[in-house]
Amino acid sequence: MKWHSQSIFLSGGAFKNWNAALYEWLKIRQKIFLRLYMMAVVYEFVWRMLHALLHLQRTILSWFRISIWNWNWRLWRRAVAAVQVPAVFGFQNHTYNNKKSCGRVRWKSDGKSLEKLPLHVGLLIAEEEPRYTDIANLVVWCMAVGISYVSVYDNQGIFRRNNSRLMDEILKQQQELLGLDSLKYSVEFLNNSNDKPEQQVLSCQATVKVLSPDDGKPGIVTAAQKFCQLVEQQQQRSTDLDVNMLDSLLRGTKGMPDPDLVMKFGTVDSTLGFLPWHIRLAEIISLPSHINITYEDFFSALKCYAGCEQRLGK
Amino acid sequence: MSSTEQSKTKLNQTPTTQRMSWIHKGELTLIERLSANILKAGPMPKHVAFIMDGNRRYARKLHVERQQGHTQGFDKLAETLRWCLNLEIREVTVYAFSIENFKRAKDEVDGLMELARQKFSRLLDEQEDLEKHGVCIRVLGDLTLLPLDIQKLIAQAVLATKHHNKCFLNVCFAYTSRHEITNAVKEAAWGVEQGLIKPSDVSEFLLDECLYTNNSPDPDLLIRTSGEVRLSDFLLWQTTYSCLVFQSILWPEYSFWNLCEAILQYQLNHQALQKARDQHAEARVLQQLEADRCCAADLLQQTGLGKPVDPQLRQEALQKYTAEREERVHSFLTALQEKRDRFFTDLNKGFIASAKA
Repeated sequence: MKWHSQSIFLSGGAFKNWNAALYEWLKIRQKIFLRLYMMAVVYEFVWRMLHALLHLQRTILSWFRISIWNWNWRLWRRAVAAVQVPAVFGFQNHTYNNKKSCGRVRWKSDGKSLEKLPLHVGLLIAEEEPRYTDIANLVVWCMAVGISYVSVYDNQGIFRRNNSRLMDEILKQQQELLGLDSLKYSVEFLNNSNDKPEQQVLSCQATVKVLSPDDGKPGIVTAAQKFCQLVEQQQQRSTDLDVNMLDSLLRGTKGMPDPDLVMKFGTVDSTLGFLPWHIRLAEIISLPSHINITYEDFFSALKCYAGCEQRLGK
Repeated sequence: MSSTEQSKTKLNQTPTTQRMSWIHKGELTLIERLSANILKAGPMPKHVAFIMDGNRRYARKLHVERQQGHTQGFDKLAETLRWCLNLEIREVTVYAFSIENFKRAKDEVDGLMELARQKFSRLLDEQEDLEKHGVCIRVLGDLTLLPLDIQKLIAQAVLATKHHNKCFLNVCFAYTSRHEITNAVKEAAWGVEQGLIKPSDVSEFLLDECLYTNNSPDPDLLIRTSGEVRLSDFLLWQTTYSCLVFQSILWPEYSFWNLCEAILQYQLNHQALQKARDQHAEARVLQQLEADRCCAADLLQQTGLGKPVDPQLRQEALQKYTAEREERVHSFLTALQEKRDRFFTDLNKGFIASAKA
């Protein structure tokens, strides 16, 4: 009896101890979980603040850039207005024409002043809403500076769908920026059909091509299918294929050389599917936006390209 | 002390055993851990690719031998892998040696091959450590261009770590992206030769699976050091929607903060890239459906007798064709995987045989 009551007393005591220990353990666990939860909340808060600051910085910089451009434009207009007031009728036109012809001469000499000029420039527009006038300006500047091949690309195929609008804009800007000399700078627009280009030009100064994501990986798939068909027809063996053969299958008959320089416009840091095979050695220079792009910004990118040294593995 | 002197002192202080190891023994400092935790609150890249450029310029800067620059570069790789593990980045791909690099001076190439020999042998010694951390090592490239003994070492390393699955290190050795893509097309053509697939079965998905990187997802982030702003024939197919970060620091001087900066840039681009990737994936599905529809329609026309086909029959034919195509592709990919495994096991058998002899 005594033993029984003792054991009950002991087990009751043990039970209480065990209960107390469990309670302590649960309290500690709760504290740990609470601490982890609070830390996670703090880290997330700090991360959000950091990203908010970075976005703010980006917005301020782009606002600043646009303000400076607007300010410059207003200054230029005031200067022109100041000249116009005492001017004779013809003087105004003369000044305007002078500025344009100065630009043309300068562009040509700028191109010659660079150590190296790219043969083919790819304009990668990584922005949501493209402005055709600005892109046309870029294409015409490329031609004026002496670049022979220009391709225009966007991730959603907008330019491909609005091909003719872009071409009209380019021709219009060519007239406006190059004036009387525009006949010397003839443009050949390459499209993907196998017909010969309609414009027969005596001296083709520049070739412009409009590209979309379909020219990237799907282009490689098409070339692969072509080769596989040859293998199926037993005109080739699978082991015959090498890099040069695939390259010529991809290039087709109206091949352009590989882009030496990709000018990327926009804040997205990616090639977004632009000609993956062809850009293996292309320098990728980023510019914040193509909207209201100035010739100076464009030329600074070319200067940056001229300073790059390619060792080609050596 | 200038940064050059600081680097030189650090070079002399690191113990030799640590200098050779693939797994860096070191933990993050408190402030590094805090920053890592803050970054991890946002989207983190699951697969990062590195172009480890700048070893030779680093050696010139410190007035040491080129070979030391490369050795330092390897040590930095081990350290970077440790940082990636701490940041829970489970897959890393590095550009160790390009096919174009064979054009370099003979003594430099021989030096690099010797470094590779040492590192892959060391790997075999560290197998327990690798097993503990679950590191799977893959070597991507045209291995037949390498000396046979290195091929055998690589085969051993790859087979020994094949079943580890906690984290993955892909070393691109004797690699260029154009060779990789050409090889993928060759494999597809081999499939056609063997009668396993038809030319019309060749698609983006199929070529994805024929690349050396078929077991890895596309990199989320590509980092190139030393200030160059080009891809130099590295993962051209796989990085079409990756975040590209070009940093001017030389590779042997890379720091944890440089890595954090790159990840931050990835986080800023994450939404836009995700959107672009999703659009591309949708377009791909539609293209495949359209291609299947054309093929099914062609088949129907061939088997039909010039009679107009009703939509129900067309739909059934399309489903049947798609199922058959997927079946063909699946058996081709199985055969391809077996072919690849056989390459390594044959090399390994040769290695064991020559070791016994």
